[in-house]
Amino acid sequence: MKELQRQELFDCVAFNYITDNRFTTSLITVTMYMPLNIETVSEYSILVNLLTRTCKEYPDFTSMSKKLSSLYGATVSFDCEKVGDRLALRFNIKGIDDRYSFNNEKLSKELSELLCKIIFEPNVNDESFDEKEVEQCKREQIDMIDSLFNDKRIYALHSAISFMHEGEPFAISRFGTKENVKKVDGKSLYKAWKELIRKSKVEIYYIGENSPKMMIETFKSYFEKIDRSPVGLMNSPIKEHVGVRYKNEEMNLSQSKMILGFRTNCFEDEKTEIAELFMNSLLGRGAHSKLFNNVREKLSLCYYCSSRNNTHKATLIIESGVESKNIEKAKTAILGEIEAITKGEITDFEFNSTREFLVNNLYKISDSQNDIIDWYLSKTFNTKILSPQQYAELIKKVTKEEIVSVAKKLQLDTVYTLTAISEA
Amino acid sequence: MNIKEIKSDKIDQKYYVIDHPTGLKIFVYPKEGFGSSCAMFGTKYGSINNAFSVDGKEVVKVPDGIAHFLEHKLFESDEGDAFTRYAKTGANANAFTTFDRTCYYFTCSENFKESLEILLDFVTSPYFTEQTVKKELGIIGQEIKMYDDSPEWCVLFNMLSKMYYNHPVKIDIAGTVDSIAKITPEYLYSCYNAYYNLSNMVLSVAGNVDVDEVLEVADKVLKKGDLHTINNHFENEPDEIVNDYIEQTAPVAIPIFNLGFKEKPRDISNEKDVACSDILMYMIASDSSKMYRDLLDSELINTDFSYEIFEGESFCSIIFSSESRKPKKAAETIKAYINSYKQNGLDKDDFELSKKALYGKNISILNSVSTIANTLVDEYFAGRDIYKYLDAIANVTFEDVSNCLSRMFDMDKCVLSVVKGQEN
Repeated sequence: MKELQRQELFDCVAFNYITDNRFTTSLITVTMYMPLNIETVSEYSILVNLLTRTCKEYPDFTSMSKKLSSLYGATVSFDCEKVGDRLALRFNIKGIDDRYSFNNEKLSKELSELLCKIIFEPNVNDESFDEKEVEQCKREQIDMIDSLFNDKRIYALHSAISFMHEGEPFAISRFGTKENVKKVDGKSLYKAWKELIRKSKVEIYYIGENSPKMMIETFKSYFEKIDRSPVGLMNSPIKEHVGVRYKNEEMNLSQSKMILGFRTNCFEDEKTEIAELFMNSLLGRGAHSKLFNNVREKLSLCYYCSSRNNTHKATLIIESGVESKNIEKAKTAILGEIEAITKGEITDFEFNSTREFLVNNLYKISDSQNDIIDWYLSKTFNTKILSPQQYAELIKKVTKEEIVSVAKKLQLDTVYTLTAISEA
Repeated sequence: MNIKEIKSDKIDQKYYVIDHPTGLKIFVYPKEGFGSSCAMFGTKYGSINNAFSVDGKEVVKVPDGIAHFLEHKLFESDEGDAFTRYAKTGANANAFTTFDRTCYYFTCSENFKESLEILLDFVTSPYFTEQTVKKELGIIGQEIKMYDDSPEWCVLFNMLSKMYYNHPVKIDIAGTVDSIAKITPEYLYSCYNAYYNLSNMVLSVAGNVDVDEVLEVADKVLKKGDLHTINNHFENEPDEIVNDYIEQTAPVAIPIFNLGFKEKPRDISNEKDVACSDILMYMIASDSSKMYRDLLDSELINTDFSYEIFEGESFCSIIFSSESRKPKKAAETIKAYINSYKQNGLDKDDFELSKKALYGKNISILNSVSTIANTLVDEYFAGRDIYKYLDAIANVTFEDVSNCLSRMFDMDKCVLSVVKGQEN
């Protein structure tokens, strides 16, 4: 993979690109970071959806979709994600490269212009978004909040995280609350949009076959017109550990879920971050992991049992699907696996296969436009930005001692259970 | 050995088809500049193949869910399981069973040949004992329960149960806790010997690979077995549906629905027919369609809406699905739109746009090694070619698509399935 090039266009506005003809498509993404807080999260998460549906030139959903179809089924999508105590609003546009069009059309130029129109020239009148469109987005947002409940695995995870981070901004759902969604209107969204384009930290990425020169000029011309005043983006990972907290919910289901939340006490230090990633994978990410092999396969205690870490919040979460009668047994078994790591009980097989797994996954990133951008975006707030290949080299240097040392820092913080009960 | 190069001038890409002396069909799709690879080893055998005869002998009826059970069991051998072997190479491996095929695959960026050797070896080395079969019951039982809690899964199978009288596509892929309890090593061997015959299988590899290295491993591992003729036995399926409505209560916040039209199974090997119906569906129901817009505006669906041509050699149906607070109204609107298109004809501009969009979308998938490997398997089992399909999309006419519509969507063969919460 060619090296990522980066150009600071303005204060807190950067254009990153890789010119690469291996792909059949061009991908352009704009990610805007704002502080995460309960007052604004609903507005922003509605806004990012609303903006991608229309713009001044294509003022309704159908005319926009038709425009995209005419660009050979180009897709516009959005994401709204929590990055620690920050909210990342992401706009993506993807379409086939110029060389695949029927008549050699300049598609990538059109794609970047359309994305700019979506972000900077929305369909607003009298300092307000169209109320009908707003209502539709609000309804979708409420549906989204409700449908989290439909998937019990996701529901359990969300409930556990919000319980674990009670009182912190991170406890907030990225969709906000139904109550706040209902308060949003065209005018409040207009204000939020103004704030967003003025105050956010912006990271633009382009991966495709063309030189980004024209694109950079397009983005510059739009940002030039804005009176920018970027906001500070704080993130506080450390919460005082007050002992283990428990929460149980009951529901009419056939399978129970258990989530264990840990504080990792490792934060923003590259070396421990890499050891932490290694330990997490050895414990519960992948078919080589202790949780998969010992808790799921050998003991048959869970259908799924896996772990993930969040470096921004310095947490590690273990999620599992278990039969109600096995909840305690599964918990003991999972905690036993962590204890084993702290005692240095790591076989060569476990150690080597974790390393191979991580290195393989890191090398693979360069074959996907989405993965490349995801990778670099996940490092936005790191002091040093490493490529996946450079990261893989550091993974190869991790020692068992480093793994034991980060495992010892784990503190159980939250035990959340969603217990299945059968209706009488 | 016959090695054939298949080229597409239109998109300047190529792949190779090999008739291996063992009877196995092999596809190799090199992707220049890519660092990773995906290999998929599949058999044309899925959950619907629950009654069959070999070489004209008597029909064997096997327990429901056995194809999926077999997939799980094949990972084991007397020397340990395949995941453990993959762990040493760092490959990401998995498998899946659908209604009509079972596929084993891995992706990797290092140690490709070693991983391919593992794949070919474990899939061709069955090892089933009373003890290992018994152990698997717990794990698969948990998996079945997890699906029981999935409203999306329930709404689909409820719909299929009212669409089909006899066709086994209405049976859950994993079977039931009771049906899998009847599985024995003997049943597993008899299914294995019938369907895991190399002439009933395909190997497809895409990415950072060349023909020679794939053949080197295939030559080393694969052995020519006895060739068998398999006859799948399906009970006669009436054209009619069982019932036009089914409803279930489950813990969901928003009701979800599946609206299915029972269609006559067709010749799925015809690229043009498939391109026609794909374009037709895009015209009727994609997010740039009038119907989608209307459903959204009238708050009858949300952006979760999707559609699918659900088909195999012996079954075919069209399914629309979405979350909806008014599922019956949504179904009525969809039916009204289809009726109106049938009576008044389709729109020519919609046709041109849909064709372009679908063409672009199919070019886009050639970015991902795993999608390419998967698509090659799908297309081979269906008897189609990936490039001929692309050409067909470019060449289909408005009349072709209009004719296609006239053959589809019989309003008397339409089932609505709803899963809703107690309070909805």
